[in-house]
Amino acid sequence: MRRFEINRLTIETIDAVLEGAGRERIELDLRAVGFVDPYAVLILELLRVDCDEAGRGLRILWPESPRVRRWLSDMGLQGHPTSGSKAGDDALQPITRIEDEAGIGRVVERFHRRLAQRYPLTEMSRRALIAVLIELFQNIPHHSNATGTIDDPHGAAAMQDYEDSIVVAIADRGVGLSASLGLRDGYQGLTDAGALDLVFHQGISRFSDPGRGGELRRIAELIRSWDGTLAVRTGRALYYFDPRSGDTYDVPYFPGLQLALRLPMRAFLA
Amino acid sequence: MEGVTAREKLLTALLSLPDGGQLQIHLEGLDVLSTSFADEVVGKALDRLTRDDFGDRSILLVSPSLELADGVDAKLKQRQLAMICLTGTAWHLIGACTPAMTETLARIIEKGRTTAKELAGELDLQMNACVNRVARLAKLHLVRREEVGRSGPQPVYVLHSILKG
Repeated sequence: MRRFEINRLTIETIDAVLEGAGRERIELDLRAVGFVDPYAVLILELLRVDCDEAGRGLRILWPESPRVRRWLSDMGLQGHPTSGSKAGDDALQPITRIEDEAGIGRVVERFHRRLAQRYPLTEMSRRALIAVLIELFQNIPHHSNATGTIDDPHGAAAMQDYEDSIVVAIADRGVGLSASLGLRDGYQGLTDAGALDLVFHQGISRFSDPGRGGELRRIAELIRSWDGTLAVRTGRALYYFDPRSGDTYDVPYFPGLQLALRLPMRAFLA
Repeated sequence: MEGVTAREKLLTALLSLPDGGQLQIHLEGLDVLSTSFADEVVGKALDRLTRDDFGDRSILLVSPSLELADGVDAKLKQRQLAMICLTGTAWHLIGACTPAMTETLARIIEKGRTTAKELAGELDLQMNACVNRVARLAKLHLVRREEVGRSGPQPVYVLHSILKG
């Protein structure tokens, strides 16, 4: 069993957990973990589903902290000791399934309402945030099953507020960025890191129509302007930046696309 | 695909106008306009318009604020297109526009009706440069060009603002 001494399971540390995720049997000891963010919780949820579907064993020793257990339960994470217990309000927005374009408006409204109930947002930042959520959520129906090879294509999103920031996470187990871009002539056989580079540095999409694509690059620029953090993980590569630095990194393989943004409160509160 | 349906309705409405007619897209009542929806509806419709699929018709954007039209602006830049956005009594050129385009358009809007020759004099431009600016504005359906004769092999145009009043 792999034991993790890390006490925070977050955008920055979850990849250590995914080492060996493709093995026949995965055993994770998370007992020492005292903090989990929405990005990590979505990846744990996807890992559970991935193992279930592949018939691979997944054994997790869950965090011992009652606070973390309660939060995981509030987030709606399945398969842990307190899952299914009466939900509290620790989670700002629990794990929410995203399936099709028609449902995006309702999901965005739910996220927006939860946020607006707790915080006085400026009108401009409220609009910007909604527009960002729409674009990111739309990526799931638009791209996660671009090749038409995924059974039950869907994704999930979750959100949590902290003292100084808000974290929004969106994840799917779809075809990933390189397979999606590979549908465009001339872009076959891309590495995951190459696909991230094309999307974030050149604004390329799988469509040759010049008006399509560029949304992720634009969102990344907006997050930079807010001094935020962005993590976009696909296959074996992670594009990550925070206010101090950023790059594309090699990470353990995991299918689909997972994304998180951490936004400082001061950037958009009234 | 809500955007596709909305664009089809928009193009049907545009076609129902007489040649030279103008369609105004009002964003009032909208909370947020996503960039992909903006492109699907406005970007692609404008792309068709500039390919002369709709004769001399024009499209204007009317928005309670310029911020609400951000998505349209971003997508038009990406498509190398531009359009006029009205906010209250002010007009703004959004999308892929240059100060030179805005300067020329402003003069045409101010005068309502003019010629390239007049503009060249007023803007202190070489005639060729002025003709190129005007041709770009006309191509984007930001002004209406009316052929009134010929000077040698070249057509002579009167330029009309597409803003009424």
